[in-house]
Amino acid sequence: MEYQIFDPRGVVHAEHRDIAPRVASLAGLRVGVLDNTKWNGWKVLERTMALLGEQTPFASVTRYKKESFSVNAEPELIARIAAENDVALIGIGD
Amino acid sequence: MATTMTAPEAGALPVGDPVEYYFEQAWSDGLPVVPPTQAKIDATVEALGGEPDFPEAVIPPRRGTLTREVLAINMVMAGCKPEYAPVVRAAMLALCTKQWNLNGVQATTHMAAPLLVVNGPVRNAIGMNAGHNVFGSGNRANATIGRAIRLVLLTVGGATPGDLDKSTLGHPGKYTYCIAENEELSPWAPYHVEHGMAPEDSAVFVIAAEPPHSVVNHVANDAQGVLDSIVSAMSTIAHNNAVASGSCAVVIGPEHAATIAASGFSRLDVRSYLWMNAGNTWGEVSFNDRYAGGGKVYNKALPAWYKRETNARIPIVPTPDDIHLFVAGGAAGRFSAFIPGWGRMTSPVLRKIGAMPEGAVCADGTCAL
Repeated sequence: MEYQIFDPRGVVHAEHRDIAPRVASLAGLRVGVLDNTKWNGWKVLERTMALLGEQTPFASVTRYKKESFSVNAEPELIARIAAENDVALIGIGD
Repeated sequence: MATTMTAPEAGALPVGDPVEYYFEQAWSDGLPVVPPTQAKIDATVEALGGEPDFPEAVIPPRRGTLTREVLAINMVMAGCKPEYAPVVRAAMLALCTKQWNLNGVQATTHMAAPLLVVNGPVRNAIGMNAGHNVFGSGNRANATIGRAIRLVLLTVGGATPGDLDKSTLGHPGKYTYCIAENEELSPWAPYHVEHGMAPEDSAVFVIAAEPPHSVVNHVANDAQGVLDSIVSAMSTIAHNNAVASGSCAVVIGPEHAATIAASGFSRLDVRSYLWMNAGNTWGEVSFNDRYAGGGKVYNKALPAWYKRETNARIPIVPTPDDIHLFVAGGAAGRFSAFIPGWGRMTSPVLRKIGAMPEGAVCADGTCAL
């Protein structure tokens, strides 16, 4: 007996894009830090930047906030972070 | 999309069982699915309006394209009849609006899952249950419409538990979570009419929801008494609304609804009373700054206008309109239910279902007027 199998998953239509090349050094760079507004999120990010800052001379550190956790950052905010910085630090988690 | 699998020679181990095959591909919710056939898929695609390749939506987080054929495959797997198609599609389109934020609900560590509530003539046309055991099992339409949604979220959306679906605990509504409002036993206008639709319209409301929390009251014979029990269920720091704001649902059983209405309470009176009297103190939701390390815990997820003072009363949801009120359940029993939501990260959506003629009786996809 033969059975026809039907794949329920549908096709993912995606266009390939390369990610930005990794920087060789963080020294002298402008860093954007995105607060996802989770309860302890900023504490972790702030402490991370403090520890990194002990070893690395950043040109600037700028904080940004999403409208809410668990919601995509608005495209305008992402564009601003990209325009105003060389690298960005984000966090995901509770 | 279809490949052919051949059963082995007689005497060999049976690998030709399609039910087992779907289990092995992880295309199941843990229960057996109905292996689709071309004929069943075609009948459901026809109920969706034909055009099997028509893309209805893209389902996050995997972002698979939900064509009518793919939706039909999942509906057949769930055990749906073709006539359920308008309801399933309307619910999927509601879930895929930006404000619903399906991406967030799919991925969250919270247990929230879409709850569907159906209004209007379609409920009876397709044989939904709005009465006894409405949140439970036993009705094909309720069970398989909810299940079809879940299978799409799993297969097309990629929400495999532990992988893209990070829900810590999950809840049983992730098998199926679909009810109809009991418009016939409700003393009030149906939900969709409260929100501006005509009674002869059919609609589906979708909210990201925790499981129902039972509210018992066999004692009160007035609105205030019954509603105070629901207020009690709402007034806890444990559910997500208390810490993340947003919307919630309240389902009032018919006996309770009759008592409340007999006191002269309208829908707005009910929602306003619940909103006004349910709540926590700021001190309770902020643990009286026990974890603030000397400073203050500023909870950014709650509205800025909530007073950040220890004894200030703050509401469960920001406005009475964030309480979505339904009457459902059987004619006997003095029970209602409070259903917390996920939080401000999602907005529930009410969507009209494609026109069903008034008084239509439908079977197997054919409607007689």
